[in-house]
Amino acid sequence: MSDTAILEHRHVAASAPATAGRGRRIVTMARHEYRAAWRSRVFVALTAVLSIATIASVYVAAVDYRSQLADYLLYKSAAQASGVAQVAPPPFALLTLLRGAFEYLEIIGAVIAITLGYLSVSRERVNRTLPLLRSRPLSAGEHAAGNLLGATAVIGTIVAATATVAVVCLGVIGHDWPGGVQIAKLLLAYSAPVVYMATFYCLGSIATAKAKVPATGLMVALGVWLIVVLILPQIGDTLDADNQVPGGLFAALGLGHQGEVDILANFVTYEKVRTAIEAASLEKHFERFVFAMTDIKARYRDLSLGQLLDIKRIEVIWLAVYASALGAWMRRTFNRQPTIPRGGRS
Amino acid sequence: MIAVIARQQVQSLARQRVFLVTAGILLLMTALAGVIGWSSHDTIVRVYDQATVYLADQRLPAPPNPFDLKPSLSLLSNMVIYIPLIGALLAIVVGYLSLADDETTGIGRLIFTRPVSRSSYVAGKALAVGVVLAATMVACLVVSVAALLAVNTVAPTAAELARLGVFYALSWLYLMAFALVGMVTVLVTNRRPLALLAALGVWLVVTFALPEFTSGLHPVASLNPIVDPVSTSQAFFRVTAKARSLSVFEQYKNASAQILATAMTSETTGHVALRALPLVGAIGGLGAAAAGLVRRHDYSKGTSDV
Repeated sequence: MSDTAILEHRHVAASAPATAGRGRRIVTMARHEYRAAWRSRVFVALTAVLSIATIASVYVAAVDYRSQLADYLLYKSAAQASGVAQVAPPPFALLTLLRGAFEYLEIIGAVIAITLGYLSVSRERVNRTLPLLRSRPLSAGEHAAGNLLGATAVIGTIVAATATVAVVCLGVIGHDWPGGVQIAKLLLAYSAPVVYMATFYCLGSIATAKAKVPATGLMVALGVWLIVVLILPQIGDTLDADNQVPGGLFAALGLGHQGEVDILANFVTYEKVRTAIEAASLEKHFERFVFAMTDIKARYRDLSLGQLLDIKRIEVIWLAVYASALGAWMRRTFNRQPTIPRGGRS
Repeated sequence: MIAVIARQQVQSLARQRVFLVTAGILLLMTALAGVIGWSSHDTIVRVYDQATVYLADQRLPAPPNPFDLKPSLSLLSNMVIYIPLIGALLAIVVGYLSLADDETTGIGRLIFTRPVSRSSYVAGKALAVGVVLAATMVACLVVSVAALLAVNTVAPTAAELARLGVFYALSWLYLMAFALVGMVTVLVTNRRPLALLAALGVWLVVTFALPEFTSGLHPVASLNPIVDPVSTSQAFFRVTAKARSLSVFEQYKNASAQILATAMTSETTGHVALRALPLVGAIGGLGAAAAGLVRRHDYSKGTSDV
């Protein structure tokens, strides 16, 4: 063995326990974050609002779907009885019933994640655990990583519970259970809210850690949420020519998809500006990805999973970029956060 | 004494950066509403012109222009969304700050060592909140008129100005309801952020959950001033639609569309006034709740900042 190889071997042997210790500390922080989150009444109350809204939304959609499905089956049996060999497949898609559920994750889910981030930082301030944590061999990076991991587990639990309730509603009320490819699409669709909410968790943590008074940090984070989740997409939607008339402008003008494409070719700059406004919003990337996976946009329904992922690659990249950037910023903020809490009014 | 408390509160709010920034965003969005309205309207007209040429090339008849009868105030139709979004959050912050600061700074304790009655205190706070929100609405009205003047190149008529005035008066009522929500949540919780989040929870339910429950409106779809008519023929909606008159967000949206003359169908003035009734009821109920809670509130305890 050469000298260099021996040195490398020694370095690996020495750094292995350090890495293991680092991993253990991160997991310990994550466990603490997970347990502490569920002890907060406000967090549990907001999660309950999300759950009730999801159930109500899927229930309403599933009842409508059931009646449409019954009408279709009646029509099909009547057609077959009168000798029609081939009956057109039903025009509705099961997963579209989850639209309201995903929109609630977009809006209320982001508020829950911000609250989680705020609680995580303010808890350490009010309980005076931050100086205690920093007196231990725990770096700011490990602290941020542990908190983020724990929060992601909390978010994962909420999203999984929401998804389970939604799918059960589809089966029990809508009388239709999702099959193989649909389950794969659902898994992908429900992975997006985890990344999306984790990003807002980072925002809540950063704003609270930077503020002298935690309540001010919470207000700042909610202000950013308002702009990113509600205002920017609303401006983009309002500027969309097709959204100006109930049922769609191009449908009202009697134009099909090709007609729409041909005419919009004359509005390239306008569409670029509108798309840029929408692209600035994390919410829009989340929505585009989820709506494609859940068949809400009819033009994606006939595509395979591979094709869908290929087309929606850009949305995945944007979600990852936002999450990574906010994660890195959170680590930096934790690194600079004063250990002794500062007072002050909002 | 009511005037003294109100003046002190107005001065205090004017020094709050959070309030100034939120009010600034609302004014900016008011100006932007005019620009967005003009831009989308102009684009639709051009799309229609292109569509007629496209259809003529294919020997198809051109449909009537869907924007022929658009009134000039339709440029501001986005305000019907921005008031319940940004305005309501501003109102929550104003209501919340008006009581929360007195609790955490100890001013509340100090005030009640003086001969000040609880009813004068709460009336003064409500007056201050009302004045601040009214001033914000007047500023929005001025910006809206300027936007209309800039975009239409002609001054709004007296009738249009009257309509705008009524719209912003209704908006003020809407904001007052949420300001009172912000005040009530401070009084029923013992931590400042908890109060803010509780008020936000109420806002989420009123703005997104209730319209879906009573009218089947998807949360994001309800943010568009023009929404697709939803089939509410199911038995479920036949029951929940009875509560639609209590959905203040929907009532505000529909009444505003009538006032700005942007609705598809027109209603009588009496019918529009009836739409404001649940809002007035909510303000009365929340005001009474705030007064009752202030009377029983223990100001010696204070509230946690975190």
